[in-house]
Amino acid sequence: MINLFGYRLSWAQLAWFGHRASGLGVLLFLFLHIVETSTVLLGPEVYDFTQTFYQNLPAKLGEVMLMAALVYHSLNGLRVIAMDFWPSLTVYYRPLTYGVIGATVVAMIPLGIIMTRGYLPWG
Amino acid sequence: MTSRTRARVIYTNPSRAARPKPEASGRERFWWYFMRVSGLALVLLALGHMFIMHVLVVLTGDEINFAFVQSRWGSPFWRIYDFALLVLAFLHGVNGARVVIGDYVTHRTARSLVIGLLLAISGIWLVLGMAIIVFFDPTTQSVSGPLS
Repeated sequence: MINLFGYRLSWAQLAWFGHRASGLGVLLFLFLHIVETSTVLLGPEVYDFTQTFYQNLPAKLGEVMLMAALVYHSLNGLRVIAMDFWPSLTVYYRPLTYGVIGATVVAMIPLGIIMTRGYLPWG
Repeated sequence: MTSRTRARVIYTNPSRAARPKPEASGRERFWWYFMRVSGLALVLLALGHMFIMHVLVVLTGDEINFAFVQSRWGSPFWRIYDFALLVLAFLHGVNGARVVIGDYVTHRTARSLVIGLLLAISGIWLVLGMAIIVFFDPTTQSVSGPLS
């Protein structure tokens, strides 16, 4: 149980909310990504200019968040699928949920370092 | 009534991140299976795409620009890969948004309107996305676009 602004939330509730939030976030980026990629039909000058929008620190941090959303949504989705098709696994929903959250955090350490490499002091 | 039933399902089923399997076969049952099958494919397609674009490109010192897209979409493999990723991610995402809207917009007419709007906008967007992958010409050397 965690206490958030006076609400007592379980990790399972947060896992459910995180699945929706990350899914909607990725969908929003997909809409943006289609518009931005469409400039490739307008030639190299326009497309290369569009790509400079991603070449700054705030955009890089956004990309790290996108990666985290995808990693979490993938792992949590695999957990949901596993429990849907093997209902006996539901007994382990708590360790599986902790595992998904923990694995996302662990995976994001090297991924975050690689993705923001150009902006790190040693990068 | 509908909203009460939905809320109870979520409450008694806290271990699930998603909705329970629809009892009756039909359209909703199809989309329930679609989310799981496309989800499995997207774990490979979407994470593969992110790994190539944000890990391999960084580690090899490459850069994502027009020349990069030219060499990538010059190969039918990557064009089919990106087309499958686009269509599956889009259908998976829009159907997910539809389910979320259904949980929060309980008024029948309002729900139909919001979901109708979502589907109309998404349809246009998906056609634009598919057109980019189909109509891009990798042999283009230099095109004079409106901003060049």
